Amino acid sequence: MADDIKVDVTMDLKGLKCPLPVVKVSQQVKKMQVGQVLVAETTDPGAHADFPAWAKTSGNEIINIVKEGDASKFFIKKLK
Amino acid sequence: MDNEKRKALIAKIKTRLSRPMRYYLDLCTRCGLCYDTCHVFYGIPRKEYSPVGRAEVVRRIYKKYFRPSGRIFPSWGDAKEIDDHAMDELLDAAFSCTGCRRCMIHCPFGIDTPFLLSIAKVLLIENGTAPEELTMLADGAVEKGESISEFKEGYREVIRDLEKEVAKRIGAASPDGLIPLEKKGADILFVGLAGAHSIVNPAIIFNKAGASWTLSWFEAVNFGAFLGDPEKMQRIADRVVKEAIALGVKEVVIVECGTAYRIPKFLLGPLPFKVSSIVEVIHRYLKEGKIKIKEKAVQEALTYHDPCQLGRNAGVYEEPREILQSICADYREMTPNRAFNWCCGGGGGLVALDNEQFRIKSGRAKYDQIVATGAKIVVSACENCIFQLDTIKSGYSMDIEVKSLTELVAENLA
Repeated sequence: MADDIKVDVTMDLKGLKCPLPVVKVSQQVKKMQVGQVLVAETTDPGAHADFPAWAKTSGNEIINIVKEGDASKFFIKKLK
Repeated sequence: MDNEKRKALIAKIKTRLSRPMRYYLDLCTRCGLCYDTCHVFYGIPRKEYSPVGRAEVVRRIYKKYFRPSGRIFPSWGDAKEIDDHAMDELLDAAFSCTGCRRCMIHCPFGIDTPFLLSIAKVLLIENGTAPEELTMLADGAVEKGESISEFKEGYREVIRDLEKEVAKRIGAASPDGLIPLEKKGADILFVGLAGAHSIVNPAIIFNKAGASWTLSWFEAVNFGAFLGDPEKMQRIADRVVKEAIALGVKEVVIVECGTAYRIPKFLLGPLPFKVSSIVEVIHRYLKEGKIKIKEKAVQEALTYHDPCQLGRNAGVYEEPREILQSICADYREMTPNRAFNWCCGGGGGLVALDNEQFRIKSGRAKYDQIVATGAKIVVSACENCIFQLDTIKSGYSMDIEVKSLTELVAENLA
């Protein structure tokens, strides 16, 4: 499914310390157009709860999560 | 700014005017002793970056609306009306302060400037001009508390991966159960952070000690506190309190995060469990012989940075020093240290803001302190401090290694 998604921006957030992964994603999404997709790659286990919680409060959507070794790719669609 | 908004802001100030707050607002004699105690003023010597300079921004507004002299003769005491410019000044004052309280211990009257700046923070929230990053992080943390059941499976899956890493590092035959989740009746609930290192290193120590423990679903850091929103701070803190009570643990152990430790330890009132820092627990395990470290395993000169919220504001000074003096052959103190240690400039949520150049400049005092020790390894016990020490390292091109205390212990267990 991940291969079918058109990705507009990719961010490598691996190794960043708390709370930068969510902050960077939030800042990047603000610069994007509604409907565009961001892929954020992170090694933070906490991202599996932090990213969905951020998406709920900011009104965006996580459309897919792909695990690749120690890292996870979060596919985030800007909804508003 | 319209009158309705101004009225709402004045009403907000009134909610914060407790007796200690009025004391701090009324008592300052402008002696100026606090100027040289602030790490920000050390790096950026401008009045607005001194403790009294920040406090005056709040005091002038207080005088205008709550002191007779300010109402009748506003120009006598520099009384200032709340307007958009005043709100900008409040933003700069509140979020250039890390809340380290070094100024407070030098002030002849013990004026708590960070407490005074809590007025600035509630005004910024009411005005809708509080830092977006901190608002977003606090809202996310509150939401996580409301909807944790939706996120558990994804988190559980990545914790399983971390268990494999723990198994590899401690030589366990099986990774199963090395990082327990939702273990009812465990002695300890450990609260980590988002990063794997904040879970793996403590997990190695807990397993080596044979501890009965379980990992929290939540992160320890409290962005509601950094934001200065008392309600969100309480809701974020309550997530772990409720979890601990539901699991029936005897002790909640907080990862290396000064504010995360100080809130349940001192600000939530009586709790039905003990609150400890991971540093205190490591120290206890060493004293009890539950873990052993390779004595003097680190030969390079090493120094310790006291995190303000763990040291000056919580009194945990000797435990980290005793641990480090066991591990390293050449331990060197910074001068000054303990209660008088210079703040690194990373606290108060500042590392979450887009202000790297400001933090490099305000980290100048810490840079000078580290250089004076000649140490090649700088250890601390707070994620914010570690983050900021790394910023200082790169900002001043320093030839040092920055390490977390828990990481150093986990790497040097016998």
